[in-house]
Amino acid sequence: MELAVLILAAVGALLFQLTLPGKLVDEQAYRALADTLGREAKPGDVLLLFPWWTERARLFVPPSLPVVGYLGSDTDPLRSFARIWLLAQPRLPKANLSDFLSRFGVDRASLSSPRQFGNLQLSLYQNALFRPQFFDAANSYAAASVYLQLPDGSRRPCPFEGTTHRCPGPPELHVAAEWHELRYRPVRCLWMHPPGGATRLVAEFSDFPFRSWVRLEGGMTWDRGAFQRDSITPIYAGLEDQQGKELFRLEFPPGADEARSAQWRVPAGSPPTGTIRLWVQSTNPELRDFCVQLFSEGRAAADPR
Amino acid sequence: MTPRWKQTSQGDGLISAGLFLAGFVALWATEASVGFVRDESVYFAAAQSYAAWLQQLFRDPGMALTDAAIVRAFDFNHEHPALMKLLFGISHHIFHQTLGWLRPATALRLPAFAAAALIPPLLYRFGTALYGRIAGLFAGISFLLVPRQFFNAHLACFDVPIATFWLLTVYLFWKAQRSPRFWIWCGISFGLALSTKHNGWFLPLVLTPLALWRGWAATRADPSERTSLWLLVVAWAGTGILFVLWWVATSGRALYSWTLLSPATALLLTLLGGTTWLLFRLRRNSLEAFRALAPLAAMGLVGPLMFYLLWPYLWHHPIERAAWYFDFHATHVHYAWFYLGRLLRQPPFPLEYVLVKTALTVPLAILLPMALGLFCAIWFGISEDSRARWDQMLIAANALAPIAIISHPGVPHFGGVKHWLPSMCFLGLLAGWSVSRASSSLAALLPERRSWGKRWLSPTLLFVALLSSPLIALVRVHPYGTSFYSEPAGGIPGAATIGMQRQFWSNNVTGVLPWINAHAPVNARLWLHEVTGLAFQQYQLNGMLRTDIRSAGGPKDAQLAAYQYHQEFREQEFEIWQEFGTQTPATGLYLDETPQVIVYQRR
Repeated sequence: MELAVLILAAVGALLFQLTLPGKLVDEQAYRALADTLGREAKPGDVLLLFPWWTERARLFVPPSLPVVGYLGSDTDPLRSFARIWLLAQPRLPKANLSDFLSRFGVDRASLSSPRQFGNLQLSLYQNALFRPQFFDAANSYAAASVYLQLPDGSRRPCPFEGTTHRCPGPPELHVAAEWHELRYRPVRCLWMHPPGGATRLVAEFSDFPFRSWVRLEGGMTWDRGAFQRDSITPIYAGLEDQQGKELFRLEFPPGADEARSAQWRVPAGSPPTGTIRLWVQSTNPELRDFCVQLFSEGRAAADPR
Repeated sequence: MTPRWKQTSQGDGLISAGLFLAGFVALWATEASVGFVRDESVYFAAAQSYAAWLQQLFRDPGMALTDAAIVRAFDFNHEHPALMKLLFGISHHIFHQTLGWLRPATALRLPAFAAAALIPPLLYRFGTALYGRIAGLFAGISFLLVPRQFFNAHLACFDVPIATFWLLTVYLFWKAQRSPRFWIWCGISFGLALSTKHNGWFLPLVLTPLALWRGWAATRADPSERTSLWLLVVAWAGTGILFVLWWVATSGRALYSWTLLSPATALLLTLLGGTTWLLFRLRRNSLEAFRALAPLAAMGLVGPLMFYLLWPYLWHHPIERAAWYFDFHATHVHYAWFYLGRLLRQPPFPLEYVLVKTALTVPLAILLPMALGLFCAIWFGISEDSRARWDQMLIAANALAPIAIISHPGVPHFGGVKHWLPSMCFLGLLAGWSVSRASSSLAALLPERRSWGKRWLSPTLLFVALLSSPLIALVRVHPYGTSFYSEPAGGIPGAATIGMQRQFWSNNVTGVLPWINAHAPVNARLWLHEVTGLAFQQYQLNGMLRTDIRSAGGPKDAQLAAYQYHQEFREQEFEIWQEFGTQTPATGLYLDETPQVIVYQRR
């Protein structure tokens, strides 16, 4: 019995080691894939990786095509992208493509049959969760009016210096579009570190286009959300209209490291453009490195009518 | 009849020597590509500082022996005892500085190769004595075929040396039960273990119950022998309780306030004298009971003495500096660690972590015999009533204790498998036992033509079958041992999918250094993420990185950046994207498709 078990294990392990190299991808396959994507990818497309960590593709994919692959990207709605190129490596150990597709395929329609490049498998999907984007704060922040709003209502401006709105105070007190990690996800977001106390850091956008949805998404960058101690205070991020009426707000308590989002359905009959104020506040700014995205979006095919 | 432990031959000596040489040569021959792990770069510097002090000791002993001179040399990295670092430094002085035979890193690592290469022959001797030659040989050969163990064996660190001295101490403890004088050697080996790494302090916890069990059994028949045993136990336990009470009463400040002329010292001296007298008494009454307990006494007396003598940093202020050392390790920080898709940052850590990590990092063809061997050892240890029962429990206890210690949910869980390497030696012995039994079964199935064929063919077939896959895996993953995952994990790609720590300790950077050397502009500023400044210097000193390249403090002031993929450091990669204005890497180290080190070049 012991002999049989050992021989079975030995043979199984040997088979695994001998067959593993044949399940990997050679450079030629990546180059052929890159050629295809270079020819066929359109603006508004995205390349989604499966398994999520197979980022070697970044070396080869045309830089104009965004690549998405992070821990959790399997369930990313990818709202900003109309079409999704799915790049899969189904022969890798523990890569269960059919299980992935059973979840990914909801609200996604296949536009082509899978194509093989060695062990790479490329498929194109229409993304029914796509929402046309009319505003992204990370692209429009240069034109924003940024200031510190003190509890008494007075304002201290944060002048724009080429790429950044710099506020009076420590260097982290600025507003700029930056790449950050929101719980493993790379996000180009608006860095807005709270000034502390009851003072708010405000970015005011005039000519904000109101379409179907206003969506706010943010979180602590890197590991900052994981810290929990008494001195750490919640951070609040909110949105106000021109009259100062709060549309909604998000709370990020200490210890909550996941990104949070909220969306507001624009009522019918709203003016096409207006002013909107994005603000953040935390009593104690310690370890409250915060980044936020603000979008104005149209309706997705999968959105309820 | 010659006892089984004495049944050694000249052949055993040759096999042992061969195993040592093979291990040593294999480590030396494959060392050049192994990167300098974060801790190692610190030990390199400490080793050179300690060696400089040794030179001063020869030149001007009066000055060298002052506390100021000792602190100047040994204050650096006083988180660990000095023994291995002294050896690294001496080797560096002889083979690099004086003779110029070796590059600096190889000279520094040479003693580590020797310490690691001692494990296979020790396993062979121990395994042969316990379970027969086939078991000993399998244990000896398989140890360095586990990729993570092979990797760690290269490093001028303490994880493999402490496994060596743990194994040696247990081997000598076992020998001492049957042979005169080995109890003293056991104490000396324990002293070497204490002088290598703090894991050594746990050895008495494992060996004391076994020694008492054996002593208890040996004195069963004679009340006077049992009285001697009792007196010894009471003396030790009583003293231990008094010290604990003293420690509790002073809220843990007892050690810091210890003075030479104090009741505590008197108590300790009384224990020493009492132990010596009681041991003599026991030796007169029951040799077997004496042999059971004498190694413990030697460990208790010789071990701490060697710990003190081999660490000059303690010479002038033994109590408070030793207290700081214990406090440092008792309150060690926790580093983030990726495990089954979640980042472990703070205790409590999952209880099963060590078992799962072991199961996913030891090649299946070695893991399975380990598990079968352990099961049998525990089974026989419980069910058999013989002398072999004690042997089984000794091996099983040492296979499980280091794992159990690290499994505690409050103990730091970073560092892969290196913190419980002593367990792997004993699991290797048990694997050998399992293979030995399987070999006998296979021999019975073979045709009875030639006796040599039956004797050697079955183990050869089994060894080839079981050790081929670990060897292939080892060759494929070297020198990136911290990235290795075994067949149950699905290899490196499978482990990435199930969310296991991809690498640690920064040494994988060697995979991209050739590209950097070829492509970096002259005088380029390079940020090697997670690589210490000392390691950066070592890469240049050892000819692995161009000397015109300058170290950058981060992406902001770098032209090139090599990011080490860690789940807890994703922010750093995105900081590179931000600073360099690109998300497209220039090159990278991808092991079986998994990103390990990713290089970006500023646009």
